[in-house]
Amino acid sequence: MLDRVVSQSQLLALVDELALSRRIVGPVRRSDRHFYGPVDRADKLDLDFKYCVYSPKAALFPADQTLFEFQTGPDGFQTSPVYDESPLALVGVHPCDINAIRLLDRVFSNTNIDEHYLSRRRQTFIVGIDCPTPCTSGVFCRDMKANEAREGADIMCSPLPPNGVSDDVRYGVVFGTDAGREFVLYSHAGDPPTVDDERASERYISDKARAFPQSIPYDVDALPELLERSYDSLLWEATARRCYSCGSCNLSCPTCYCFNTYDRLEMTLTSGTRQREWDGCQLRSFAVVAGDHNFRAKAAARLRHRIYRKAKWVKEREGVAGCVGCARCDRACTAKISSVEIYNQLAEEV
Amino acid sequence: MKPRIAIFSLTSCEGCSLAILELEDCLLDILGAVEIVNFREGMTERSWDIDIGFVDGAVSTPEDMKEIEHFRECSKVLVAIGACATHGGLNTLKNYQDESDYRKYVYGDQAARFPTIPAQPLSGVVDVDYQLPGCPMVKEEFLEFVKVVLTGRTWHLPEDPVCVECKRNGTLCLYEKGIMCLGPVTRAGCNAICPSYGAKCEGCRGVVHDEALKAAGINLREQYDVDLQDVLADLRMFGAYQEKTLP
Repeated sequence: MLDRVVSQSQLLALVDELALSRRIVGPVRRSDRHFYGPVDRADKLDLDFKYCVYSPKAALFPADQTLFEFQTGPDGFQTSPVYDESPLALVGVHPCDINAIRLLDRVFSNTNIDEHYLSRRRQTFIVGIDCPTPCTSGVFCRDMKANEAREGADIMCSPLPPNGVSDDVRYGVVFGTDAGREFVLYSHAGDPPTVDDERASERYISDKARAFPQSIPYDVDALPELLERSYDSLLWEATARRCYSCGSCNLSCPTCYCFNTYDRLEMTLTSGTRQREWDGCQLRSFAVVAGDHNFRAKAAARLRHRIYRKAKWVKEREGVAGCVGCARCDRACTAKISSVEIYNQLAEEV
Repeated sequence: MKPRIAIFSLTSCEGCSLAILELEDCLLDILGAVEIVNFREGMTERSWDIDIGFVDGAVSTPEDMKEIEHFRECSKVLVAIGACATHGGLNTLKNYQDESDYRKYVYGDQAARFPTIPAQPLSGVVDVDYQLPGCPMVKEEFLEFVKVVLTGRTWHLPEDPVCVECKRNGTLCLYEKGIMCLGPVTRAGCNAICPSYGAKCEGCRGVVHDEALKAAGINLREQYDVDLQDVLADLRMFGAYQEKTLP
């Protein structure tokens, strides 16, 4: 059931309204690709994008973020935490990335409450845009049950088939939160859905169900068991021999949340900041501990660890898979290692 | 007592020494924390009682050999700065050519006045305590190094490849454009400056680890339709890798 129908120009006007009180981050065109980037006006967005090279994760969990400031002086060692609470709107977020944000929400709020993430997240309004077809070849979002996002966005917009009346793209809008409902209704944008709109929406949903191919013979619920039986597979060694351990898969992943901390000192040497930066389990030094011992020194062990995290361990702990099937890891891999291929090869082995 | 610092140059463009002068925004802060006692590019006074000696340039002449041994003797800590000092740098390109050829096209009929030897990094001749690679060295990394030394902490070069910095910066991977970038095999720390301007990484900070190089050999033979000689030429440019073939 739709809550509202808006045209693309009405949606852009809504974004301009959001921009009065929020920073806007959405799809912009750069070097022949799309990236999530900051804009000050909605007409700088390109809502007809297929996919963005990187996910909007960096807006919530920056690649390099200040956690606290510290200083030493006559009063001893003092720290003060740094939180970014400036209101933000993420616009044009696809279901895969919305599901990824939902996972980050869980991870950063369960055992260790991460106020640096949550303070930003609480101030974030999400305008989701649904995908009628796979954004590009190689994605396996359907297999990960992440090509739909019924929760996570404040408003979710699905592009409806043309109705023959207007050339403007029309979106069926579903309110995901009270904030989303209030925002759209108070601005009086768009119209209540007609019976025809509801029919168009139903057709959209059934067309979409057929448009996404199955890429893996086991769906996300069966992957933990598949992996359970694949720990000693020869595949890990055979595939990882090509791995550069460059971490591109990790750092382009919308659900990877590992980070490293370090201190940045001012030249005075008496004050500075504690920073955290994105880290990745495929990097050789990721698992180095005191005494220089590396408990995952081999690329094969690291590759297995990543796949287990994505499709088994995170799911067992958080209830949802650590992968949304966006295939950014596969596209980013400088050695052309494909996680879809890994799942398929493992499925053949067992 | 402030640490006594010296900055020396061997065969090079001295661009790394210049990079220190380019730290003008914090040069006064640095001078407040250390005492520079010997710096050809920046001052005329000379002293040979040195706590930390920074050296840019490769060992490429018999004169360089004598000088680096003298610098080593006078410096409690010796730091190689820039690709020439850490890997031999551009100077090593002559190592692949015939000596009489390059002597002739560089020095013409005066070649006899300029003795030369195969170029090598400082570590080929003396013990080096720390390396700050790059062409030129990364100013910000030099500053971090100075801060770490002044606070008595342990210095670590980044152990990650350049790809990590491209991803953190949100730069489009050059492999997506079909460009053979050396980022996956090259040590990070430069903030991936070349790819951020659309130029491929040419490995000026050296190979990050042998495993990456081995993976490169496999991938370039099995996954990519490229001329290995072109990639080898890129790897040799700054002396990052000087073998005849990829592993």
